[in-house]
Amino acid sequence: MTAAPAILGTPRRSAPREFIAAVATIMIKELRSRMRGRRAFILLTIYLGLLALIAYGVYLITAPNVDNGFNGSANASALVGQAIFMTLSIFQLILICFIAPAATAGQISLEREKQTLDLLISTPMRPGAIVIGKLAAALAYVVLMIVAAVPITAIVLMYGGATVGDIVRQQVVLLAVALGLGAVGLFYSALLKRTQAATVLTYITVLALTLGTAAIFTFWTIFANQDNGGFGIVQGERAPEQLLYVNPGVAMLDVISNTESDPFGGLTRLLAEMRGEAIDLPFEPGIDGGGAVECDALGCRPVGGVDAPAEVAGAATGYWWTRVSLTFVGLAIILTIASMRLVVPAGMRGNPFRRSRRFAVAGGLPEVGTIDDLTINDVQGEER
Amino acid sequence: MTSVPIVETRGLVKRYDDQLAVAGIDLVVGPGEIYGLVGPNGAGKTTTMKILATLLAPTSGEAFVTGIPVAADPIEVRRRIGYMPDFYGVYDDLRVWEYLDFFARCYEVPARRRPAMIGELLEIVGLTDKRDAYVEALSRGMRQRLCLAHTLVHDPALLILDEPASGLDPRARVEMREILRELRGMGKTILVSSHILPELGEMCTGVAIIDHGRVLRAGSIQEIERSLRASALLRIDIVGDDAALTAAADWLGTDQRISDVLRVQGSDGAARLEAAFDGTPADQAMLLRGMIEAGHTVASFTQATSDLEEIFLKVTGQAVEEEAA
Repeated sequence: MTAAPAILGTPRRSAPREFIAAVATIMIKELRSRMRGRRAFILLTIYLGLLALIAYGVYLITAPNVDNGFNGSANASALVGQAIFMTLSIFQLILICFIAPAATAGQISLEREKQTLDLLISTPMRPGAIVIGKLAAALAYVVLMIVAAVPITAIVLMYGGATVGDIVRQQVVLLAVALGLGAVGLFYSALLKRTQAATVLTYITVLALTLGTAAIFTFWTIFANQDNGGFGIVQGERAPEQLLYVNPGVAMLDVISNTESDPFGGLTRLLAEMRGEAIDLPFEPGIDGGGAVECDALGCRPVGGVDAPAEVAGAATGYWWTRVSLTFVGLAIILTIASMRLVVPAGMRGNPFRRSRRFAVAGGLPEVGTIDDLTINDVQGEER
Repeated sequence: MTSVPIVETRGLVKRYDDQLAVAGIDLVVGPGEIYGLVGPNGAGKTTTMKILATLLAPTSGEAFVTGIPVAADPIEVRRRIGYMPDFYGVYDDLRVWEYLDFFARCYEVPARRRPAMIGELLEIVGLTDKRDAYVEALSRGMRQRLCLAHTLVHDPALLILDEPASGLDPRARVEMREILRELRGMGKTILVSSHILPELGEMCTGVAIIDHGRVLRAGSIQEIERSLRASALLRIDIVGDDAALTAAADWLGTDQRISDVLRVQGSDGAARLEAAFDGTPADQAMLLRGMIEAGHTVASFTQATSDLEEIFLKVTGQAVEEEAA
C-alpha cells in the first residue's frame, strides 16, 4: 500500500479561512498574469490623464460663463466644481460600464477555450472560490481605476459645489455598478462556451440595462399619458419605477442632483417626477443658475458661500442611488452563485461553499477501508 | 487492509444523448500498479478516466478511488488523484515555478513545503533549468512533463494519465516512459491510457483492452497473449496445384477447432492457407499429423507470430465480428 499522502495528516484550516485562502490562490494567479509588465500601469496612467484633461476642459468652458459677476461670484467657484463633478461622474460611469464587463466576460470561457478548466476543476478547489477569485481578480483592476480617480475628482472640493459625501456616494455607485456588471460578464462567461458569444451577450445586457430600461420607462410613461392633457407624468400614470433600479445612469444622476445648487433644479425635479413625487415650488427659484437656497416655513433664501452646497431638506436626492446600488449588489450575488453552479460539471453539483463529507479525517487510507468494508469484501470476488 | 484497491469500478456506464460511451466497465487496480487502458480512439478510455477524475458523473454504476465513492465525495477523491487530460492547456503567461505554485495552492499544500517540493518535481520531470521560464516558451514535450509535474504537487496516491505520450516525438516518449517508471518506483499507482498497446506493454503490470465502451480483455500482457494464442493463426503451405490446395482447405474446414479458412496470396505469388485455430500447441501438432496422414502435402506449418500490435487488432477485431454476428 502506498503511504498516505502527507497532506492528509496536516490539520485542516477552518472552513472560512480555507475558502479565503482558495480565493486568494485564484487571485494571485490571475494578478500574476494580468498585472505583469507595464501594460496595466500604462493603461491606468492614460485613464487618469484623460480624466484630468476632461476636468481641465470643463473648467475652461465653465469658468468664463459663471464668473461674470452678475450672479454674485461667491457661487461661481461652486458652479465650476459642480460641472466638473458632473462630467467626471458621468464619464467614469460610462467607462466602467464598458470596462467592468469586458474584464470578466472571458474569465471562465477562456479557461474552457484554452482547455485549462478541467485541470482546475479536478483540484479540490471549491467552485465558489474559483468564481469569486476570478471575479475579484478581474474587478481588482477596475476598482483600482475607480479609486485611483478619487484624487482627481477631489479637486472639486477646492472649488466647492460638491462635498466629500458626494464623492463617497459617487464611489459607492461606481463600485456597485462595476460589481454588478462584472458579475453579468462572469455569468455569461460561465454559461457559454465561447468568449466571443459571452462578450456580445454581456454588452447587449449592459445596453438593455442602461439605454433599454430608460427607453422603456420613457415610452411606457408617454403612452400611458397620451390623453391626460399634458399634465406631466406626476398626475398621470408611470411605468413601474423598479425598471430603473437596474439603470446605473439613474443612480449617478441622483448622486449628481445632490450637488445642484437649486434644490428644485432640473435633475432633482426629473428624478422626483420619475418616482411620482411632485415638488411643490414655493416660488420660482432664483434666476438661472442661481445660488444655493434654504427653505423653511418663511420661504426660501439664498445661502451664501461655497461651503454650503445644496443639501436642502426635502431635496429629492438619495432615493435612487441607494436602490440602484443595492440592486446591483444583489444582482452580483445572484449571478455569482449561478456561475458557481455552471462551473461544476453536470451531475457533480453540490453546495459550492461547503466542504465535502469526510471519509478519512486525518489518517489517510486505512480509515477509508474500515468505513467501507463492503468495498473490500466485494473486490476479492470480482477478480476476473 | 492491503486489499483496498486504488481504483475500482463496477458496471460503469456513461451515456451521451443517444451514444453509449462506456457500456459497463469493471476495473480493479491494486496499489503500486501501472495499469494501462488500451483501445482505439472513441473506445471509452477518456470517459472512464474523466469519471474517475470526478469530471463526469456516470449514468449508472459505481467508481471508487482508494475506496471513496467518486460521485458522492468528489473533493476527497480529488485530494488523492493527479489527473492529466488528453487535451489540455497551460497558463501561458505564468512562469514554470508559478504554475506549479498555483496548483500547489489549489491542493492546499502548506506554504513552507512548496518551494522545496517544486524543486523536487522539476527535477523529476527534468525541467529544473526552466524554473523561471514562461510556460509559453516550453516545447510540447516540456509542457507535457510540466503537466505531469502538476499532477504530483499534492503527492497523490493515484495518477490518472490520459494519453501522456500523444503528440510526442520518439525521444520524448522514451523520456515520458522513464518518468513513469520512476514514479512507480516512488510507490504511485498509475492509470494510463493509450491507443497504442506496445507503448504500454513493456511497463504495465496490467492492461485492459477497451473497445466500444467495454473491456474486451483484462490482465497482464502475458495473460492476454496466452488467452489469444488459444486461437492462433496458422499459416499452411501446400505443395501441389490448386486442387491440392482446395482439398486441404476442405479438410481443414471439417475440423471443429478451426473457425475460418482463408486462401491468401503470399508475397512470392504462391497461394497458401490461413486458418484460425482454437487450441493448445499440442492440438496444433495433432492437427498437423492428421493433415499429413490424410495425404495432404504440407510444405510448411507455422503459427503467425503475434506481437502486441497484432494482439490489439485481434482483440478489437473479434469484438467487431461478435457484434456483427
